[in-house]
Amino acid sequence: MSIFAEVDHVNRVFVLPDGGEYIALSNIELKIRKGEFISLVGHSGCGKSTLLNLIAGLDKPTQGGIILEGRQVTEPGPDRMVVFQNYSLLPWLTVRENIALAVDSAMKSLPNGERRGIIEHHIDLVGLRHAADKRPAHLSGGMKQRVAIARALAIRPKLLLLDEPFGALDALTRGGLQEQLMRICQESQVTCVMVTHDVDEALLLSDRVVLMTNGPAAYVGQILDVPIPRPRDRMSVIKHPSYYTLRSEVVYFLNQQRRAKRQKARQTVAVARNGLEKVNLDLGFIPLTDCAPLVVAKERGFFEKQGLTEVNLRREPSWKAIESGVRNKRLDGAMMVAGMPLGMTLGFNGKPPVPVVTGITLSRNGNAITFHRRFLDAGVRNLADFKGYIAANPDQKPILGIVHPTSMHNLMLRYWLASAGIDPDRDVNLMVIPPAQMVANLKSGGIDGYCVGEPWNSRAVNEGLGFVMATDLDIWPGHCEKMMGVREDWATAYPQTHLALVKALLEACDYCDDPRNREDVAALLSRSEYVGADPADIRPGLVDAYATGLGEPQDLPRFNQFAFDKTNCPDRTEALWMMTQMARWGIIPFPRNWIEVLDRVRKMEVFSAAAQAVGMMDLGRDRGPIKMFDGTVFNPDDPVQYLQGLSIRQEIDVREVSLDSSRPRVDTPAA
Amino acid sequence: MTAPVNIKGNRSKFDPQKLLEMTWSKVRELLPPAIAILIFLVVWQLFTNSPDSNLPSPIRVVEDTWELIIDPFFDHGGIDKGLFWQIWTSLQRVALGFSLAAIIGIGLGILIGTNKMMYSALDPIFQVLRTVPPLAWLPISLAGFQQANPSAIFVIFITAIWPIIINTTEGVLQIPQDYNNVSRVLRLDRKTYFFKILFPSTVPYIFTGLKIGIGLSWLAIIAAEMLIGGVGIGFFIWDSWNSSRVSDIILAVIYVGIVGLLLDKFITFLGSLVVAEDKSS
Repeated sequence: MSIFAEVDHVNRVFVLPDGGEYIALSNIELKIRKGEFISLVGHSGCGKSTLLNLIAGLDKPTQGGIILEGRQVTEPGPDRMVVFQNYSLLPWLTVRENIALAVDSAMKSLPNGERRGIIEHHIDLVGLRHAADKRPAHLSGGMKQRVAIARALAIRPKLLLLDEPFGALDALTRGGLQEQLMRICQESQVTCVMVTHDVDEALLLSDRVVLMTNGPAAYVGQILDVPIPRPRDRMSVIKHPSYYTLRSEVVYFLNQQRRAKRQKARQTVAVARNGLEKVNLDLGFIPLTDCAPLVVAKERGFFEKQGLTEVNLRREPSWKAIESGVRNKRLDGAMMVAGMPLGMTLGFNGKPPVPVVTGITLSRNGNAITFHRRFLDAGVRNLADFKGYIAANPDQKPILGIVHPTSMHNLMLRYWLASAGIDPDRDVNLMVIPPAQMVANLKSGGIDGYCVGEPWNSRAVNEGLGFVMATDLDIWPGHCEKMMGVREDWATAYPQTHLALVKALLEACDYCDDPRNREDVAALLSRSEYVGADPADIRPGLVDAYATGLGEPQDLPRFNQFAFDKTNCPDRTEALWMMTQMARWGIIPFPRNWIEVLDRVRKMEVFSAAAQAVGMMDLGRDRGPIKMFDGTVFNPDDPVQYLQGLSIRQEIDVREVSLDSSRPRVDTPAA
Repeated sequence: MTAPVNIKGNRSKFDPQKLLEMTWSKVRELLPPAIAILIFLVVWQLFTNSPDSNLPSPIRVVEDTWELIIDPFFDHGGIDKGLFWQIWTSLQRVALGFSLAAIIGIGLGILIGTNKMMYSALDPIFQVLRTVPPLAWLPISLAGFQQANPSAIFVIFITAIWPIIINTTEGVLQIPQDYNNVSRVLRLDRKTYFFKILFPSTVPYIFTGLKIGIGLSWLAIIAAEMLIGGVGIGFFIWDSWNSSRVSDIILAVIYVGIVGLLLDKFITFLGSLVVAEDKSS
């Protein structure tokens, strides 16, 4: 479809009474297709309404222009009719007269009779026949808004502009009006731009959601396509597989904007104390069983013992939030999925590289692969059955959830699928969903299965919703799972702090793996500020026997491994395996200078110094090949040959990756 | 199935008890002012009871002016007319002067409100002129018109016009931005804009101006007539003073007060006809 209207690099600067300037909008670019419904979403004060007024022509851009069907917009006109936030009906005119005023002045060329017809048609369209002769003062808010919509539609605008049209209405009225608007827009094929702060409203009505960043100098942060087919209704939208992902994407964006605003208000200053450069740390974590070392270090005094007296644990909604939090320095450090430090350093999925280092592995194992129970009913009990299922149902690609492209969940799920000859990029769809939303998505039918850490597998099993087809003990027992990641420049600026952090976490991990402490760990995790899940979902694998939903629960003493068997060493061999896997699936290029990369990311010297300081000796892992469940052996001495020997893989890009990127890094919000 | 019977009973229009209640509540409302007036009259009577008092007592006033009270419509020619005719003449002057002030004032107010240039040019002048006391205009208008009647009317006009202009201007400036946006988006022509948006949304302000204006004109006419002479309630008062008929003055003052109140109520009533329905959007 061709471009119908265009917002062409628009800036809007207001001159303040004191002579200063306020930049409301900065370089806004937006192309609107004919018949499209677009929502502008952002926090209040982000300039959404200003942008709408610019498109309407009620306000003029300071730079740039608005182009409608090839012509620049210079003044308001009935071809860009606005439905104002506060209805803006004339109180001295009746419903009919209000609509007539618009029709009579915008459609002068039509004969009188035809105009009457249009007016009456639109009164019926919004179901206000009984109130046609009433004045606005006698109408409810919802009815007034319907009049405003009828007035706007009656003059057949090319572009319908809606400024928070349902903001002032109660939920019930709002719901009804949204569906009515959707139906009318569908019937009359009108192009719409709507300002709203209601995420569900935006997803229900729009083809595209435009997310705007906070002002001043607001810009278009992200544009989301809403691929839900029309005609839509509320239930079909909510049930659509992409709904939760889109919703969490929007909510994530808004939360991130809010945090950015708050952070601007409270610029943190490093507090140096106790011989450390910075004792006030903001550490991010995700509510999962294996955030235990952080929780224990905080609650059982290991941070304090090392002099880190002001540690705040920040519960984050998703791994993406962790990644961007560390990237834009909101967080000092965070519990990361194992591949994240490598992925960020190498610039995964085309993102700007940020060198991130890790000095300690926080946990091993702890994941499982869960499938919806209906697969069990269809006779799918193991990987081979699943392969057969895919072959038998070529028209329905199963959708599987993963938590982040660089996570072990993604890499192991892909490895596991590929080992059975299932191409994870062709035979199934992999979808990134935050851990805490997996069960909800499985329930709503958005996904068919997932690979995630606890308690989200046990939750599905306990609810009878799904069953565990494999734990990572079945795939690669003792693999590296979570690490403590900090930016390299942070580690360089605060070396003693980094060391203290690793020391505290080492002791906390040791505490977590003492069987006598497991009950305490489970109790801590159940608290609402940490995981907040039902203890029945947290305990399996951690304290109790692990139930897969198939047969009797089994004792898996190594399901969560925090210190046992040299857990904490940031081993380089397994990091190399991860790089080969990420390269295998096209997430990163494979660095020819992989030794340098491993050296930079995996801070063995910090780990060793910390281990010696707390008196834990002999924690180094033996360097050797990795044996996987399918019998393949990964030889760390020749990763490139290993990569090329793989049958299912994407095109592999092997190149020298420069770690000291001299080009200035732009802190863009996650795109 | 007794319910319908009950409903019928409740709906019956005639309800003596309710009627009684309503009358009683009305009486209760009127009671305090009636008592206050009574006390005032008694006090007045007590203070002016002695035969050598300078002012007449209320009973004296009624006795002295009984002829004027029972027959307000006599006309003995010249200025010797009943009080109705005196007030009627004054009212005619006010009607003429005030109508002129209203027409020109509203017109000028809208012009100034819609035109920034005019506003900045004329507003300071108006702000100065509106503070000039009405009687200060009288010599100027006498010098200009050379006649008593037009001069009096001019004083009314010039007194009433300022609040009307200022309030109308304010009304135009206060038209909600939303309504102006609607008109801009719809590209309403000037005529439609004037009749559908500007005028209706300014009306409440105009009536505020008219109400202040009518009060001021009634104040001004009494004073002006005292100086000009001829028929009119103002001169009647002055004439009574010259003839030492203090009771007549008191009666006239009471009439002036009542008429002033009625004028104010009349404009409020007119305003309510136009505005009441449009209250709140």
